[in-house]
Amino acid sequence: MSQKVCIKQLPSGVPGLDSILGGGLPEFSFNLITGPPGSGKTTLAHQMMFALATRERRALFFTVLGEPPLKMLRYQQQFSFFKPGMVNDTIRFVNLADAVASGRFDQVLASIMKEVEAFSPGLVFVDSFRSILLEATPHAKGALGPQEFIQQLGIQLSSWQATTFLIGEEPSASDTHPIFTVADGLLCLYQSVYRNSMVRKIQVTKLRGQATSPGIHTFRITASGIEIFPAAVVPGDTESGSATAVAPRSDGRLAMGVPGLDAMLGGGLPSGYSLLVAGPSGSGKTILATAFLAEGVRLGQPGVIVAFEQTPSQSWTRTIDDLVRSGKIGLINTRLLDLSIDEIVQHLIDLIHRMKATRVVIDSLSGFELAVAPTFREDFRESLFRMVSVLSGLGVTVLMTSELEDRYGDLRFSPNGAAFLTDAIIVQRYVELDSRLNRVMAVVKVRGSAHSNELRQYEITRDGIIIGAPVVGYEGLLTGRPTRTPASPTAPGRRP
Amino acid sequence: MSSSGKTGLRCEAIRRSLAQRHGQDPGAGAIAGAALGLWREVADCLAPLIGSRGVDALVRRSLQLTTPAFPWLGLSGERADGLGPLTGIKPLLEARDPMAATEASVALLVAFTDMLATMIGASLTDRLLDPIWTSPPPKLPEETAS
Repeated sequence: MSQKVCIKQLPSGVPGLDSILGGGLPEFSFNLITGPPGSGKTTLAHQMMFALATRERRALFFTVLGEPPLKMLRYQQQFSFFKPGMVNDTIRFVNLADAVASGRFDQVLASIMKEVEAFSPGLVFVDSFRSILLEATPHAKGALGPQEFIQQLGIQLSSWQATTFLIGEEPSASDTHPIFTVADGLLCLYQSVYRNSMVRKIQVTKLRGQATSPGIHTFRITASGIEIFPAAVVPGDTESGSATAVAPRSDGRLAMGVPGLDAMLGGGLPSGYSLLVAGPSGSGKTILATAFLAEGVRLGQPGVIVAFEQTPSQSWTRTIDDLVRSGKIGLINTRLLDLSIDEIVQHLIDLIHRMKATRVVIDSLSGFELAVAPTFREDFRESLFRMVSVLSGLGVTVLMTSELEDRYGDLRFSPNGAAFLTDAIIVQRYVELDSRLNRVMAVVKVRGSAHSNELRQYEITRDGIIIGAPVVGYEGLLTGRPTRTPASPTAPGRRP
Repeated sequence: MSSSGKTGLRCEAIRRSLAQRHGQDPGAGAIAGAALGLWREVADCLAPLIGSRGVDALVRRSLQLTTPAFPWLGLSGERADGLGPLTGIKPLLEARDPMAATEASVALLVAFTDMLATMIGASLTDRLLDPIWTSPPPKLPEETAS
């Protein structure tokens, strides 16, 4: 039997936090939560405290000179995690202002330890340690200084078998401050302001003995408290499939729900593929995506749609609404303009698992890019890559739409290089033939599969997309200046 | 329950608690002593939570809110003995007839609890202070010793 110590990990109660901590909060660890005013430090501490406190593991929350305790209690109650019934039972608040006002670190330490010994907590919070460091100063030679105070606090609380959190703004000269050496864990909260949007971010800078998720993760504060969106991790080649995959990999193909399109794709869209449908405004991308989802529902394959451009007046939106209302497809419809891709990916993954979805539609990448906070737009392509990889790891088949500017001299399938990331591409275009504006569609690629290379006319009717005949007898259609092929005088839309 | 309903219940609980502490047919002096005793319990309960200065600030505001109904409470000057804003009201209560002393004491405590409930919610206020209104008066040190 192993004689090594096994550190128990406490579930933090904050969605997403355990994931970036590498499993949970190490029991009896001494942690710092730092960040500027308004970054969510106190909220994070309260959320963890109300989640973790039990009769067997009681919590002591020391308030100092930072936020007045009355206000803290008033505002923290706005969150659903705050349970007044736990106060003075499993949770005790203690104000340290008088001890701190004495200006002596040893008196502050004695006050903390007196309360700890009286209440015997398994969790201790001190909000804020910065106030203590600023207010208390060693009076006499030989008196406890800030460094010894922090070290003593860490030693005594760890010996008392309490998991401890010191909360506060980052002390100046942070890289050399002893508190960072003493701490087992360091959670840094930021507010990233870029142009007119603000995004909240969190980083686990240090956590002894655990493989944390490196990098900066975004989070949001809602009425339920803090929700962290761990940065999506691209599964490596060595991983033998994701453990959370909802759809087993298969060689099967998915029906698109548009007559004739499956044949163009070489027999349907290969399962697990990502398909980009690119076309100008009004070309029917959303209609095609809706048909894809509706066909899935018909075949017992649940789907999920992430919509950024839905307007209630559209009949096809009503189709989606009907499917959503009947619980056959899941919908993420957001008009927030400060999203991180990781936030969407997290909600999408949750919904995919909940719906056991195998088909996913993102409509559209253009709307998605607009909804993402400006600070993330520079990295949009990389983030898209991560998202597509994560969805691919889940085994779902993804259809993404992309608004395509009708610039005939410049044939691109998406403004952000998404074409490179996808396994299949369908392009829709307008072409002028015989003084009429016609819609045409072609399959540009289906990775590892034969597919049609025809440019097919199509119409949008009440029954959906009707694919017609190939456009023959013309060349240069995609340049916007088609000319009749001299060798073949056949009219467009008619089979030779 | 509406806030006025809550206030009514608190008012009754405070009145009962005060009566329990001063006994039957009390004089104004006994009422003043009982009221101060209750305030001490309230301060002991809340000071660790919101700090003694936080409690004093709420008491001052309660005095201000209660003074229009009992103008003589406004005469309580805060003494410089560090005992907080309530120290001056004991002689004022003792100088009144028992009914006026009772009504003023209850009104002051009700104003305080209502204000606390406005700040931190009725649920948490009741959670913190109900034990004071519902428990028997704490024994004084000499009573415990005898």
